Amino acid sequence: MTGALRAEWTKLRTVAATGWLMLATITATVGLGTIVALAVTYRSTGPGQDIPKLSLVGIQLGQAIIAILAVQTISGEYSTGMIRVTLTAIPRRPTLLAAKAAILTALVLTAGAVAVLGSVLVGRLILPGHGFTAAHGYALLSLSHGPTLRAAAGSVLYLGLIALLSLGVATAVRESAVAIGLVLGLLYLFPILAALVTDPQLKRHLQQIAPMTAGLAVQATTNLGRLPIAPWAGLAVLAGWAAAAVLVGGLLLRWRDA
Amino acid sequence: MDATIEVNGLHKRFGQTVALDGLSFTVAPGSVTGFVGPNGAGKSTTMRAILGLDSVNEGSALIGGRPYASLRHPLRQVGSLLDAGALQPSRSARHHLLWLAHSQGLGSGRVDQVIEAAGLQAVARRKAGGFSLGMRQRLGLAAAMLGDPAVLILDEPFNGMDPEGIVWMRGFLRSLAAEGRAVLVSSHLMSELQDTAGHLVVIGRGRLVADTSVADLIDAASAGRVALRTHARSEAMTALANAGATVAATGPDALTVSGLASERIVEVLGQSGVPFAEVTVHRSTLEEAYMELTRDAVQFRAAEPGPEPGPGPGPEPGTRTAEAPR
Amino acid sequence: MSATTAPYRSDLPAGRDSFAQLLHAEWTKFRTVRGWVITAVVSVIAIIVFAYLGTFRHESGVCTGPSPASCQAGHPHVPVGPGGEAVSDSYYFVHRTLAGDGSVTVRVSSLTGLRQTGNGNAVSTSDLVGAPGPVQPWAKAGLTLTAGSTLGSAYAAVMLTGAHGVRMQYDYTHDTAGPSVSIAGARWLRLTRSGDTVIGSASADGTHWTVVSSARLAGLPASVQAGLFVTSPQTAPSQQFLAGDRAGGQATAANARFDRLTLEGQWPAGRWRGQDVGANGQTSTLTSVGSHPSSGGFTVTGSGDIAPAVGLPAAFTDQPSLTGVFVALIVLIVLGTMFITAEYRRGLIHTTLAASPRRGRVLLAKALVIAAVTFLAGAAATAVAIPLGTRLLRSHGNYVYPTSALTELRVVFGTAALLALTAVLALALGAILRRSAAAVTAVIVLIVLPYMLVIVAAVPAGVAQWLMRLTPAAAFAVEQTLPQYHQVDYLYTPASGFYPLAPAVGFAVLLAYALIALGLAGHRLRTTDA
Repeated sequence: MTGALRAEWTKLRTVAATGWLMLATITATVGLGTIVALAVTYRSTGPGQDIPKLSLVGIQLGQAIIAILAVQTISGEYSTGMIRVTLTAIPRRPTLLAAKAAILTALVLTAGAVAVLGSVLVGRLILPGHGFTAAHGYALLSLSHGPTLRAAAGSVLYLGLIALLSLGVATAVRESAVAIGLVLGLLYLFPILAALVTDPQLKRHLQQIAPMTAGLAVQATTNLGRLPIAPWAGLAVLAGWAAAAVLVGGLLLRWRDA
Repeated sequence: MDATIEVNGLHKRFGQTVALDGLSFTVAPGSVTGFVGPNGAGKSTTMRAILGLDSVNEGSALIGGRPYASLRHPLRQVGSLLDAGALQPSRSARHHLLWLAHSQGLGSGRVDQVIEAAGLQAVARRKAGGFSLGMRQRLGLAAAMLGDPAVLILDEPFNGMDPEGIVWMRGFLRSLAAEGRAVLVSSHLMSELQDTAGHLVVIGRGRLVADTSVADLIDAASAGRVALRTHARSEAMTALANAGATVAATGPDALTVSGLASERIVEVLGQSGVPFAEVTVHRSTLEEAYMELTRDAVQFRAAEPGPEPGPGPGPEPGTRTAEAPR
Repeated sequence: MSATTAPYRSDLPAGRDSFAQLLHAEWTKFRTVRGWVITAVVSVIAIIVFAYLGTFRHESGVCTGPSPASCQAGHPHVPVGPGGEAVSDSYYFVHRTLAGDGSVTVRVSSLTGLRQTGNGNAVSTSDLVGAPGPVQPWAKAGLTLTAGSTLGSAYAAVMLTGAHGVRMQYDYTHDTAGPSVSIAGARWLRLTRSGDTVIGSASADGTHWTVVSSARLAGLPASVQAGLFVTSPQTAPSQQFLAGDRAGGQATAANARFDRLTLEGQWPAGRWRGQDVGANGQTSTLTSVGSHPSSGGFTVTGSGDIAPAVGLPAAFTDQPSLTGVFVALIVLIVLGTMFITAEYRRGLIHTTLAASPRRGRVLLAKALVIAAVTFLAGAAATAVAIPLGTRLLRSHGNYVYPTSALTELRVVFGTAALLALTAVLALALGAILRRSAAAVTAVIVLIVLPYMLVIVAAVPAGVAQWLMRLTPAAAFAVEQTLPQYHQVDYLYTPASGFYPLAPAVGFAVLLAYALIALGLAGHRLRTTDA
């Protein structure tokens, strides 16, 4: 396993795209968060804002780049035929997938932590200037605030799980275009479907099983009672998706000819 | 259209690396022209430049006096096979040929003709992704033949072919040339071109090393060499060296002698009383002739002053001489 | 060497050079990969199947009767106006018969709002007494004349509004502003009928009159009902869809004092009668409405609206029927990308370019083929999905806004063109990036993500508006079937089927993206080695 881990680490590390994609994830996440923070202003009327959630909105963009990174780690090998070299070096396929998953998760958690901390910092710096002050009932964004810490830590974990989900899907379908289409479809289509379907029950069920909607429930800090699913339960739903994807990918990797 | 390929002073750089360095040659119709050189010599780059796939920094490559990109139905004038693996794996062989035919205003009748000519009838409706390399080469050749072109440009067509396929390919190429087509075939294995190519363009590190007919090349390489079989090898070497010949041992009882005609060798050995079993005029293989040529080329290049920054492109940039046959 | 043989001459018939051959070749390429054809078929199936999922909803107690009286609570009766659109027609009417030409003049001495104190849609009179609230901007008090007693009849009215001054409105969708004045002072209004023509005038002093506008109500019967009216719409909803429920607006009422009421012309003898028109109608209406005579006129309390119907509960547009378009969109983005990246991946692009050295034309042929395939698939699928979804919605007891055939055609072909251009955008980005994962992600992030962020209200409204203007997602405006009316306050958001750009403009945004990407792809293809 150590050998496999080191091999996968070397493989990922020596591809220039890895670093760029991690950097792009951070930039996109913090960037979207900054735009939204600059655009929102406090209003005394209307619904209140969930400030930590608002600051972390960039995750919804950043996850797309994480998905590219994760899909490329496996489908890049299939498209070049390098998978055969890899499998002759590490013939135990579950070990190989586990090593890939471990290295990928470590990288994504690192990039995710930077992206999340950056987003929270941006929110902390910008939002008070837009009326979200203590006088209006909004405390300064701080990780010492329990729910905010949960939202931030949960968002990092969320990105890690997205990476595992993508890795599993890419292992199962191999073709990178199809894999990324499936992953982004799973993430972005559920919320749209939930918003468009007319049946309230169906809508709620869709929101409860959607990997993204359920997973991002962990970002909510206000009106928890109105969420379709509780924060940690939602993250568990995403974990279920990721586990299922990795399992299916792993089994197919084992059964299929490379 | 005149069925010739004219390459004039091609220069191509990839960043710092010089891939083609003023390469010029002409391919005439009526014979197979072998295009040879070590890995990374620039063969594929030259072919891609002729086909307009790569731009060049200087120089021109013309087909019948016109740049490839200006041809309206290029496959009707130039058939090419660059990479046999360039296929959509999920598309059948026949369908691969069909879309190519449609792009040249040709119909499915022509597709069936080339399938037959390439001997692919049995597998034409199978997905090309499952083809062996040899079958892909045949499919690539069928694609090159689609437009019944007067010029053919084939990059390593023998790759992956079994011995039977190689024999078939040689015959096929010879018959194409005999019809008056210009056929440019690259290879790094001289043995493949033996008995096939009538002409040879040899390049090394992006420059022309030789542009010669195969007969001349072999003659030149064989010239003045005599093979001698004798048990008394050291005596024979001493006697012949004293007579002014250059002698090299090529086996426990074999010598190669140059610098003396065979009659003179027999005379010298007789005078010295050295016994010998056989004296024959040496005939080089194309392989040997080529090795000698590129060895000279390498020496010539090494002696030449001037910067040659970095290794040449290709998988084995350090290799300057031809690979041994595998 | 010697060329003893004569140069080769082909026996093949000479071919004509045409772009059609290139199109033919690219079409053959497309149709001979079974996976691609299946993918296109899958997108059609997705659009149709998701029309079922999107419109799956069971309602009971359908309101199909001719009058609101037959409707259960929450199952609205929706009148249809003269123009065929769904309308709100709910107000308090104090009226008499006008049996020919004539005019009515009145002064509106006050217009005040009444706040609803309860949470429900209906409140009791006691809630209203002594509870003045803010007057709604589109609360209306004035004179109206209606062609018939059924809801949705043609009408013309001149009125004072809560915050938009004096207006002349007729037949629900037409609205003209009068001279701008503050509502604090008394306002004089006059409605004059001569034949089919109705003229609305306003005056500050009852002496100097200004015509606000005139309306021709074709086929207006000789005998019409005319008089005073007051109405006040429900507040605009403040939130998007949230967890399945629409945060609806609240019912409001307005109270107006009318005096100096004078009639001229053919008014047969009779009494003024009060009527709560369209009560129990589609908008939540306050129950405590009515009128009582006051000095030289009436004091009238009314609730509701006389306007196009917007944001009705349990009422839908084509949106749920088109749920599957988003699924198809992602499927076709993958297809469009792979149509070119598959060639790069295998080096097949070299063969393609050797066969057709004019690279710009190759890209164009590819774009046209993928556009044609996706357009036809999209048009066929939406042409099935919309009627199917509409039928399902109706059969489940929901209300579907009426739309003209022309609008439906625009939705069908607009959606098909949206899918086609998105596939072209994917193809172009595939040619630029040459990597499928990056290209697929880029297109999805450009068009699907903005829509998702907007529709789930993940970003503030201001950002949402700009996302729907600047990103290719602006093209979803082609699916808007209801016009946006300035005279009805509503949360006009993509979630409720309203887009900031007009359909053609929104579509042009996507077109611009696709063309620019195609231009860049052509440039890259021409200037770099294949």
